[in-house]
Amino acid sequence: MHPAAWFAWLAGAVVAASSTRNPLYLVVLLLIFVLVVEAVRSPNVYTPIPVAPERFMLFIVPVSALFNAVSTHFGDTVLFSLPDFIPFFGGPVTAEALVYGATSGLLLSVLFAAFAVLNLAVSIRDMIRFIPRAFYPVAVVISIAVTFVPTTLRQIQKIREAQAVRGHRMRSLRDWLPLFMPLLVGGLERALQLAETMTARGFASNATPEKNAFTQVGTVAGLILVLAGGLLRMAWGEALWGNVVIALGALVIGGVVWQMGRHVTYTTYRRNAWTARDWMVLTGVAVTLVVLFVFSDRLARYYTPYPAVALPVFEPLIGLALLGFMIPAVVAVRGYLESVQVPVMEGQRPS
Amino acid sequence: MITFEGVTYSYPGATDPVFQDVNLSLPEGEFVLVVGPSGVGKSTLLRCFNGLVPHFSGGKLSGRITVDGLDPVAATPKVMSQHVGFVFQDPEAQFVMDQVEDEIAFALENAALPRQEMRVRVEEVLDLLDLAPLRERRLETLSGGEKQRVAIASALALRPKVLVLDEPTSQLDPKSAEDVLHSLTRLNADMGLTIVMAEHRLERVLPFADSLIYIPEDGGQVLYGFPEEILAHIDLVPPLVALGKALGWSPLPLTIKAGRRFSRRLPIASLMPVKKPKADFLGQPCFSVEGLEVAYGSKPVLRGLDFEVHPGEIMALIGRNGTGKTTLLKSLVGLVHPNRGQVRVLGQDIAGMEVADVCRKIGYLPQDPNALLFADTVMDELRITLRNHGLTEANAPIPLDALLACLGLTDKAQAYPRDLSVGERQRVALGAVMVTRPSALLLDEPTRGLDYVAKQRLFELLRGWRDQGMAVLLVTHDVELVAAVADRVMVLSQGEVIARGDPAEVLGTSPLFAPQVARLFPNTGLLTVAEVLPALEIAAVA
Repeated sequence: MHPAAWFAWLAGAVVAASSTRNPLYLVVLLLIFVLVVEAVRSPNVYTPIPVAPERFMLFIVPVSALFNAVSTHFGDTVLFSLPDFIPFFGGPVTAEALVYGATSGLLLSVLFAAFAVLNLAVSIRDMIRFIPRAFYPVAVVISIAVTFVPTTLRQIQKIREAQAVRGHRMRSLRDWLPLFMPLLVGGLERALQLAETMTARGFASNATPEKNAFTQVGTVAGLILVLAGGLLRMAWGEALWGNVVIALGALVIGGVVWQMGRHVTYTTYRRNAWTARDWMVLTGVAVTLVVLFVFSDRLARYYTPYPAVALPVFEPLIGLALLGFMIPAVVAVRGYLESVQVPVMEGQRPS
Repeated sequence: MITFEGVTYSYPGATDPVFQDVNLSLPEGEFVLVVGPSGVGKSTLLRCFNGLVPHFSGGKLSGRITVDGLDPVAATPKVMSQHVGFVFQDPEAQFVMDQVEDEIAFALENAALPRQEMRVRVEEVLDLLDLAPLRERRLETLSGGEKQRVAIASALALRPKVLVLDEPTSQLDPKSAEDVLHSLTRLNADMGLTIVMAEHRLERVLPFADSLIYIPEDGGQVLYGFPEEILAHIDLVPPLVALGKALGWSPLPLTIKAGRRFSRRLPIASLMPVKKPKADFLGQPCFSVEGLEVAYGSKPVLRGLDFEVHPGEIMALIGRNGTGKTTLLKSLVGLVHPNRGQVRVLGQDIAGMEVADVCRKIGYLPQDPNALLFADTVMDELRITLRNHGLTEANAPIPLDALLACLGLTDKAQAYPRDLSVGERQRVALGAVMVTRPSALLLDEPTRGLDYVAKQRLFELLRGWRDQGMAVLLVTHDVELVAAVADRVMVLSQGEVIARGDPAEVLGTSPLFAPQVARLFPNTGLLTVAEVLPALEIAAVA
């Protein structure tokens, strides 16, 4: 799948998730995203997520619920009371606050799962291709950093063993130094070696593009315009004019960046093709968003436990529409099945 | 094709030049080896070919250099990258991308080649180096040899006329090194690519070299000529050549085949090594292993090992890569816990002991000594180990000055360890683990990256400690090392010991593990040059 399609999917997922606190819809979304995570795991993309989304949820929901319960003291159903003299935490602990905290945690888990999908589905190389041309060296640096992660992890293990062999025990904070120093020095040495390799392969900075007047004036003008637009919106309440000025400022900055990018010469080897599958995913996201925002009103998505906690409402249409986010899983599984299919020899019937 | 005229270079801030008045003229299509002791300036000379010296390193360069019609100093490395490909020593630190194909395309993307052209070049380079089956793989899953081939491929993607390599096989095991050398010789023979390579382990490469550049130790004149001529002048030579020089064989043989023509004329049948009194290893073994089984997860690595090593004995452990040799060493000090079996050190079972306590009695030198070193001076490294074990300089088991003298590091006591040469760093690491006067020493691939001089020093150190009663277990691929110092040899394969005994028996007849001398004089039990000469004398007298 094309990375742009994934970005579009992520944008839709974030918008949909942030639009509701109804725990039933959020749970459905979480299950869908976890399914997509498992479907898109690919052995060729190295970006490990530190923790699986389900585990993250199991951790964050209770924590968030408890924290909210002891810090917010509104709601009708009081469970018990903490003594009043404790600052910030003192006061009644209510079921409503507990539920609100839980739904906040659930929302975080859903967002985490959505980003995990992107992390696993799109390789770093594809992601950084979206960085503007002008910042190509930044893109290369990020690529190198990611390449170095597995090497660094292996180094940590080697250093721990080497220090253990000379009697090192982890007793106090100072004992981190023998682990940290060789890692740092080794990392610097490797960085220097890599710099030499890259120089030998022709990656030297081009002559710095002349700082022509357009770049400098343009950047400043663009920033001023954006600021002015923001002020217009907020201080003077002129929403329309404010937006126009902000848009103008963004255009100017975009123009400057594009101009700077013209000096950077490089070509790209891999080309991602936009296929029917990408259209399918886009359509799914579009349909979901249309149903969520056009065909249901705000109230249908709204849920709050305050003032008295009650069971949330589940509207079937919305629940069904959320399934639109599952299309990438179908696409991924189908692609996998095609890749393992036994090729049919000529003259034979497929078994 | 490549000319050097009166080239002199000194590092920034240095008073003496690295080399002076170098004059070379290398024709196109040659396979040139650059040899010389460690630290003498081979890498520096190689970096002159593509402008890394002086553009990346700084310093003062005088004289004229021409490579493929260009002056590297004027053209800068960016332009030279299309004429000279450069491959470095460490396969781990040469890659920008994480996939093989992307890595090869990186240099091409930088040169802003059109996409069609890039695809053609990537395919061609994948075929040249047999990398096509690996093209989708992530670089970190490749072996060292495969990584070096990818590095060569990335350099060749720009279609340079010259390929320069700085000790490309020194970090590799013999099989990987052979694969890389095989690719290089094919590139030179079939494509006519000019190759300039620095290398310590001349045994592997000499048969393919067309000419040699020798950089002497004391800043003397840099020599260039045919291998047989140059080798006659230098001391750092493989056993075959050393034997040839000692026995006056001319022209000096560079391959075993050439050497056999000379050795056949000698009375091989009556040659026997001078019998060393066979040491009786009585008494309690220093450390021993019974029924050792180790597995990583569900994958078994060691299956039921039994052996013992006695004080005053050097035991060598050889075997292919991945057979569990390093795992065995780690389980001897407790870094890896066995599933079954016992490890005893000085009679005591080490199960449940902390690694730090075990290492007070067994010193362990890991494959990469750099992971050990982090102090500001060599002396501090020794003090740190003492402190870790709760000792002070006053009650140290060995006086630190004596230890430094034994290691030959007295004048480097205040030097920064990571500035030293490979051999010196290894000796500092040895000092750091020997400071508690352990009764045994475990070494993992100690000769990797060492030149012949440093290897000799290591041999002498080990023999000296063995004679003082230490038990040594060596894990190595280097059969010359085993031939020089080992009292007993074990061959490990798929986690089991498949052969053990006297080095002459185990190595002498094995087609894979026989040292050069054994291949010249088969079935005689001779393993080193030092054994051949006395044996010949005895045979002549008889």
